[in-house]
Amino acid sequence: MIWEVFRQEEPGDSHEHVGNVHAPDREMATLFARIQHARRMQTNSLWVTPRDEIGEVTAEEAAFGGRTDKSYRWAMTYNDIDASFAEEVADSESKQREAARKRREALREEETDA
Amino acid sequence: MDLETVMERAGPREFGPGDDLPEKYRKAATRMIQFHANSEVMGGYLDKTFTRKAPSLDRKLANTAKVQDEIGHAQLLYRAAETLGVKTRAEMLDELATGDGKFLNCFHYPVDSWYEAPMIDFFVDGGAMRRQATLKSTSWTPYAHAMDKVCFEEGFHVKHGESILRELMNGSKATQERMQETFDVWWPRILQFFGPTNDESVHDDFAQAVGLKTATNDELRTSFLNMYIPKAEKYGLEIPEYPRLYERDDGTMAVREDDLDWEEFWTISRNEYEGSKEQIGSRRRRQDAVEWVRESLETWESSAGPTPQTAD
Ligand SMILES: [Fe+2]
Ligand SMILES: [Fe+2]
Repeated sequence: MIWEVFRQEEPGDSHEHVGNVHAPDREMATLFARIQHARRMQTNSLWVTPRDEIGEVTAEEAAFGGRTDKSYRWAMTYNDIDASFAEEVADSESKQREAARKRREALREEETDA
Repeated sequence: MDLETVMERAGPREFGPGDDLPEKYRKAATRMIQFHANSEVMGGYLDKTFTRKAPSLDRKLANTAKVQDEIGHAQLLYRAAETLGVKTRAEMLDELATGDGKFLNCFHYPVDSWYEAPMIDFFVDGGAMRRQATLKSTSWTPYAHAMDKVCFEEGFHVKHGESILRELMNGSKATQERMQETFDVWWPRILQFFGPTNDESVHDDFAQAVGLKTATNDELRTSFLNMYIPKAEKYGLEIPEYPRLYERDDGTMAVREDDLDWEEFWTISRNEYEGSKEQIGSRRRRQDAVEWVRESLETWESSAGPTPQTAD
């Protein structure tokens, strides 16, 4: 049976997928996960879950955010407004800008592939 | 874990569903997150009125996107509250419908003009975002994680709100005057958003001691005023003379309590204001209208295939 492994680095972080292990039951899965994924890496907690329990949808089946022009829902669109007056607004904007950039890159790659 | 240990360990993202926490902590955290989640729902419902009022297609689109965000924030927060094991999401949503669920004062005032959009979208969201940024380091980890996503999205709300204010204040003389009148009405409510001065706040001390809250209402009010008054003035709004604001010896900003209508505030906090009933009622009717959706989901879930039912 395949178990997917999620590692949390520091307390308070999100658990992130790091790989999977072969194991006959949950207990063995946690043991193998410890050995394979937490031996050298800084780890606060590990999750294991049977692969079959994970639902997946991929970019091939679904149009994830960013295909139609939804610029109205991005902070950067309102560029006559200066976000720097409040740290949290500026922070949100820079994260949104980064997300939009990645999205554009992915779309461009898709186009050149096609 | 006993309370003493909780207070000793209290810090950013210190506790999670894996910890055995005292009931007092779990109840306080539930109260706080449920209030927050309810406010997202009620803020979203209030905001949707603006979609019809919005003067252009762009504004309408942005507004629906914002409403969608707010309802999404509510979903995240009900999940974060549910992980405390005190109440289920269904219970919290029911409490909101029966009038037992509490939410932010500003969302108890029904809106009916586009001029009110920047009051909610710029000032109230701006104030809320100040608070939410500090909650990224709350001690209940699922709450902090919800704040990461909420704060990511909120920048758009605040900037869009400011953009509406700017547009209106660049309008005709009559438009500017209407904007000022609306601001005069909303300004005291916005000041009350941060609650009465610290010493009167009932739940604050405990919430701070266990790291649920990381900033006091005083600190939040002060930073909000320092940031948002210059913005209002930049666009030509005049800050009303009353309620009077003053600086305390320690540099924090305060409002002359007597200048604010606390009776109205406390009526609102009991959900007994006329607007409270209107807002709670209209949301309840909409919730009832889609009862069949929830029912069919539940029927489907209980008849669903081989996977055992694991709600949590
Ligand atoms: Fe929100
Ligand atoms: Fe918002």
